[in-house]
Amino acid sequence: MSVGYKAVQWNRQKRIYDVILWLSVFLYLWGFMTFTEKAGDNLDTHGVAIRAYGSAAFILLHIILSIGPLSRLNPKFLPLLFNRRHMGVTMFFLALAHVDGWKILKLPWELFGAKAPKFPWDFNGALTWYHDFGDLDPLVSLFVGNTHYGDFILFPFEFLGVIALFILFLMAATSHDFWLANLTAPIWKALHMGVYLAYGLLVGHVVLGALQTNKHPSLTIAVLVGMVWIVGLHLITGYREFQKDKKALFLTTNDFVEVGTIDEIPESRAKVVIVSGERVAIFKYEGKISAVSNVCQHQNGPLGEGKIVEGCITCPWHGYQYLPESGASPPPFEERIPTFAVKVEGDRIFVSTTPNPPGTRVEPALIT
Amino acid sequence: MKNQSKPDEFYISYAPVPKGYRRFLFRFVPLLVIGVVLFAGLLPMVHNQFNTGKLQGTQELEGFLAAEPVPHLVVPRPGNIGDNSPFSRYLLTGGGKTAPSADILEHLGRWVKLTGTMVSRNQLSVIATRSAEPIDPPASAAARPQEGKPIGTYTLTGEILDSKCYPGVMKPGQGKTHRACAIRCISGGVPAVFRVQNSRKDVLYFLLADQQGKAINERILDLVADPVEITGDVIQYDDMFVVQADPDSYKRV
Repeated sequence: MSVGYKAVQWNRQKRIYDVILWLSVFLYLWGFMTFTEKAGDNLDTHGVAIRAYGSAAFILLHIILSIGPLSRLNPKFLPLLFNRRHMGVTMFFLALAHVDGWKILKLPWELFGAKAPKFPWDFNGALTWYHDFGDLDPLVSLFVGNTHYGDFILFPFEFLGVIALFILFLMAATSHDFWLANLTAPIWKALHMGVYLAYGLLVGHVVLGALQTNKHPSLTIAVLVGMVWIVGLHLITGYREFQKDKKALFLTTNDFVEVGTIDEIPESRAKVVIVSGERVAIFKYEGKISAVSNVCQHQNGPLGEGKIVEGCITCPWHGYQYLPESGASPPPFEERIPTFAVKVEGDRIFVSTTPNPPGTRVEPALIT
Repeated sequence: MKNQSKPDEFYISYAPVPKGYRRFLFRFVPLLVIGVVLFAGLLPMVHNQFNTGKLQGTQELEGFLAAEPVPHLVVPRPGNIGDNSPFSRYLLTGGGKTAPSADILEHLGRWVKLTGTMVSRNQLSVIATRSAEPIDPPASAAARPQEGKPIGTYTLTGEILDSKCYPGVMKPGQGKTHRACAIRCISGGVPAVFRVQNSRKDVLYFLLADQQGKAINERILDLVADPVEITGDVIQYDDMFVVQADPDSYKRV
């Protein structure tokens, strides 16, 4: 179901989600800094905060990247997926604080030329701490301090972090549904796939930076295990999708393709098949069969993993809904997806190889 | 095909959470939160973020302001010093990642009362200078400190670091993550020191100079905070050691 744009469409679940998310982040940051203080004196408190925020962002990114494939493997993870963008935006602000402390909070004062108050939790971010107080502007120093751009081991790891932060900024700034609708789902989706590039850059940033200074093997092992986990999880999910997609279909006529039998599809659920290179979701409900595109108009979610709820195909990701006969969202909503003509012969189901324009009404095939 | 005997639960974010999902979340989410918080306890145990370097507060010292190879203060040691060096030598910087200001440097070659923050780590002590005023040479000390004493040519392996943030606020203050800061410091005029660790893990510091005994700051920025091998003449100035070598002969190892 789609609704009008609001800054954040709060509901009870989102509030619970955010409270748990922010409480966990707070506990991590507080724990990291407190445990460090307990471990010894003569601390570089700015350095400790820089590490606390940087590591928090990196750990949160692992969680963010795990939720997608875990939800494909087990739908019980879906409640973590629906509000994942709040995790992403939180992660961006953690990364920003790692770089720039809490200067962003001081902007309102600085814009009016006033002196901002000193927040008790403030600290110098990595940009200020390592690059400021010298003979160059810190933003210039960031790029010209270490100039070994042609060397792997000596490479300025900060540069990798800068590009990753820029990608995270673009994603955080366009995370709202307003941008999703205006950029269109495929472009928005492609932009947000940039998270994988950001992850790769951040692994490089950590390996060529923090791990070269902190040589304890458990840190290297932790980063390696994280990488194997993320890559492995995506490979397993990708392989399962590939296996599902490659199941052969039997062409019966030029216009229709046999997609399976009625018994294969549970009531109110769908089977997903590839027809003419596109995933199609075939739903069984109330003695009828309808076929629609598998791609939700909202965020390209897998409609075939959804369910018919109150007569509407409901997307498993964010609950967007479509009428199975027409592929149109119930009024007043306006999302539309392509539909496919469908036939039933005995217990065999046949689907047209050509999609109808989005929102085209197709008479469901009746199960006799 | 799904088992029809089980309820076909389906999660929608704006509808009540089905029982099976709720049960799963009540188990999984606390585990995830505990896992995250565990990291907060484990990471500080394996991070390298301590050392004994610290700011010792504001101090006033009287001594001779020497110019070469970098500006430093030569302070007569009080009391009966026995066979020890008659002077202690302190490297000088300005505030931040800078050289001492012109107000200080105008007194080079004279005796001064110097005010600044003492920064020290092991036997490396540096003064972040604030002000200096000329004084008469003390009657008990030689008017000018002794010249350096050559003690031989050595090949040393270590790391080039700044003498301000490394002994001061930065922990660990060395290695790749500190490189940017050390480059800014050394480029800004903070004396470059060579940190060498012997086989007994004792840390020794050498001030770096070229063959003419001049500062080399701008010429070694590319080698800062990397393992480097230097072959040069070691000169002892009281408790300060200087290694004189052509910066072009420094080798990354």
